[in-house]
This record gives sequence, structure tokens and C-alpha cells, in this order.
Amino acid sequence: MLTLEHVTSYYGNTPILQDVSFTLNEGDLLSVVGRNGVGKTTLARTIMGLTTRTTGAIRVRDVDLSTLPTHQRAASGIGYIPQGRGILPKFSVRENILLGTFARKDRAEQVPPNVLELFPYLADNLDKRAGTLSGGQAQQLAIARALATDPKLLILDEPTEGIQPNIVEQIQELVIRLNRELGLTVILVEQNVEFAKEAGTRFLIMDKGAIAAEGSIDALTDALIDRHLTI
Amino acid sequence: MSVNHFWTAFAFEPFMNALLIGLSMASIWLIAALGLAIVYGTMGVINMAHGEFVMLGAYTTYLLQSVFGLPFLLCVPCAFLIVAAIGAIIEKLLIRHLYKRPLDTLLATWGLSLVLVQGVRLLVGPEPKNVTSPAFLNASMQFWVFELSWFRVFIFGVTIAAFVVTWWLLQKTRVGLMVRAVTQNKEIAAAHGIDAGRVYTLTFAYGAGLAGLAGAMFGAIKNVFPDMGAGYIVEAFLVVVVGGVGSLAGSLVSALGLGEIYSVFAYFTNGTFAKFWLFLLVVIFLRFRPQGLFSEALARR
Repeated sequence: MLTLEHVTSYYGNTPILQDVSFTLNEGDLLSVVGRNGVGKTTLARTIMGLTTRTTGAIRVRDVDLSTLPTHQRAASGIGYIPQGRGILPKFSVRENILLGTFARKDRAEQVPPNVLELFPYLADNLDKRAGTLSGGQAQQLAIARALATDPKLLILDEPTEGIQPNIVEQIQELVIRLNRELGLTVILVEQNVEFAKEAGTRFLIMDKGAIAAEGSIDALTDALIDRHLTI
Repeated sequence: MSVNHFWTAFAFEPFMNALLIGLSMASIWLIAALGLAIVYGTMGVINMAHGEFVMLGAYTTYLLQSVFGLPFLLCVPCAFLIVAAIGAIIEKLLIRHLYKRPLDTLLATWGLSLVLVQGVRLLVGPEPKNVTSPAFLNASMQFWVFELSWFRVFIFGVTIAAFVVTWWLLQKTRVGLMVRAVTQNKEIAAAHGIDAGRVYTLTFAYGAGLAGLAGAMFGAIKNVFPDMGAGYIVEAFLVVVVGGVGSLAGSLVSALGLGEIYSVFAYFTNGTFAKFWLFLLVVIFLRFRPQGLFSEALARR
């Protein structure tokens, strides 16, 4: 459902991502791993059209996104949960979720009920100012907001980063549920290799802005991890 | 002039009227500043041509009235629409290419203001024009110790209406949600399906429209001439800067405060001296509170 062909992506004139190609099937959960600064976040941002420019093709179900602006990519069914969550602090919880509805095809203008079912805490605190939420709550909100776009593909950029340990597990379970139960195709950028292995059906190791290895999650061996992930 | 003539002594009735004039000044400055505040707050664009949009609103009214014979009260909303349309075109042709270069927008809009002033001077002529307002607006009213022209009441009413409508649009509508989202974080807004470019065009057009609305009324108080925008832009900037960038409530409070301070000083001394004190007070105020009355952290754009 998602295909990248020879994608090179630039910040300014510097290519951060170089000649990246891979294919993702419907229902896959792709774990993207790699050391800091190797281009994992840039890969997520490239798919959303948030880098300066890209070359190559990015196809979602045969539609080439690479020339579309970010808001049209969102409308084509990609939900994006950025690194650091990107919650709008001055908005209420409700307004943050409503933000997602602008990318919906059905033009629904209410907070989608199926999203509230997943997040009882948010459902009970719709009028709370989002800036006052804890890290874990804010992460839930970012996921709820992305789900409100009614996505087919979800991009999660380090969803457990900076979240207190007892909440991390909840978020991890949620990520797996989104893929296994709700049937969403997921790209998961993750530092925690254990979790990347547990959640993923496929993996992709990045190194120096390029793909170092990829395949089915079973092929993510300790030898590969040692070579590309150990500092 | 002796000192005795310079100072006016306190007297109850004239002083109360000075306060009322202050309120009227505040409404004039606020309607002139409102569009500027929205464009600056949302887009981070300091529109140096805002005063020229006011001028265009006045000329629109003059032309609609003298060429097409439209009644004044109908010219006012037309001025809003026409100047908003001009604003939308200018945003698409000029401003949109400079979002990543805020300092260049300053220069570009200043250049635009020169083009607009000279363009109007060439096309319509340099001599002042008159806009006639309906007779009932030119009458004065007496109320207790107050004496006030209906026209000032009219401006006051339009300003309040424009302020309330703007607040409602921003806080209670989906378009407003889009605008506020883009103001806070353009990238996140775009990643959730909001076309930031369209939001900017709408915002700039709306800000220009408000200036046009102000110009339609200002043209009827004084004359209509190509340089008239310069007479309002300074006070409009004062209102925005003192109020705090991006805060509608701040603009309201600062317009009220500045209008009253000016009017009270003008009562005890004279208009020129009052401006001097007003500017001095604003400079001192900004020395201690550079973010303005209602501080909101500047959003990342």
C-alpha cells in the first residue's frame, strides 16, 4: 500500500535521506530502527512532505504523493504522530482531536466516537487545556488526533520517548492493538529494539541516511542489531 | 503663549466629554488596528501597507458613492468586500512568497504601500475627495452632560460589531479553528489536513477587509486623499504592540487605555502635547513589558 522508490530528501540543500526504496503491504507494522541521527525521523517527515524537497516517488495505493503538499497527503489517509507529540498546547483536548477531522474524507465535524472509545481519559477531559496533560496523556491525544483523520496508514515517531515507565507499556499495547485489531498499517520509528521486535511484522534498519537492512521481523537478528545499532 | 493658557483647568462637564471622546478615539484606533493585529498574530506578517488598505477603503466608498450613487451605509460593507478581495490578490501575488523571510515582508509591504499611494494619486488624482454621510449621522445628540455626534456613535457601534464578529469567527467556527491551529503550529496543522496557504490568504483578506471597513468610515470624518493611511497606521501599531501580539482582548484593552490617556492629556493641554505624552508613555511601558499587556508566547512558524 505504500511504496518508496529512490527517495532522496533534503533539508535546505543537504540530502538527509539518500536513495531509500521499500514497499509496505496492507496490515504490516514496519519497525524503523537505527542509531540517533541516521534519518529515521526524516523518513517519517519525508512521507508527510515536511522536508525542504524530495526526489523519487512516494506512492500510496498507486497515487504519487511526492508532488502533493502536506495537507493533501494527510487527506490521502496518512495519520502522523510526530516526535515530541506535537500537541497544540493552547487548544483543549477536544480542539486537538477536531484538528484531525480536517483530513477526513467524510467531512464529519464532530469528535469521532470510535476515537473516544479507545481513550476513556480523553473522553472524560475533552475541555481540559492540552498544555496541562502529562506526557502519556499527550501521547494518547496525539494518537487520538491522528485516528480522527480516519487513516489507513499511521506513522508513529518514537511514541514512548520521554514517557514515564509505567505508562510506556500502555502505549506499546495500544500501538500493537491499532495494527492487530484495528487493521491499520503502521510505520513505527522506535529506539527500543525489544519493543520494535515485539510489535513489528517487518523491520527496516537505517544507517547514515540510507537503508542498511530490511526484511521480515524474524530476520532482525542479534548480529544485525550488533552491527547497526550498538554504539 | 503663557503658561496659563497652556493648561486647561478641570471642569466636570467638559472633562466627562473628554472621556467620551477618548472612547470614540479608542474605537477609531481599534477598528484601524484590528486587521493589523489579526494578520500579525496569525501570519507573523507586519503589514506596512495596512494604512493604505484603509485608504483604499475610503476611496472605494468615494467611488461607489460618487460614480455609482450607492448610499453611504451600503458603501461600508462593500468597502470591506472589495478591499478584502484586493488583499487576497496581494497575498497570492506577493506576501505568499515571503513567509520564510519575515524581514523581507516588512520591506515588501512598505514598497506596496508606496505603490498603492502613488497608484491612487495617478488614477484618481492628488486632490482630496469628500464622502458624504447621511444627514442623520451628522446630527449631534445630547445625553445628560454628554454631547456627541451620531457619526462617532456609528463608528463605535461598527467597531464593537467587527470585534465581536471577529472573536466569534476565531473562537466558534471551524474556519477559526483552522486559523488558530495554523497560528500555533503550521506543520502540525498541515499534517492534519489544513491548507495553511488558504488560511493565510483568508486571514490576510479578512485583515485587509477590516482596514477597508475602517477607511469607509474615516473617509466620512475627514477627507479622502492618497496619504491618509499614514495618519492612522501609527496609532494602529501602538494599539497592537501595547496590547500584545496575537491577542484580540489585548488590542481592545490597549485601544481603550491609549484613547483615554490621549483624550485626557489633550483635555488638560492640547492634541500635539497629548501625542507626545502618549508616545513617551508607550515607550516607557514597552521598556518594562515588551511583550505587551496580554503576553502570549510567539508561536513557532
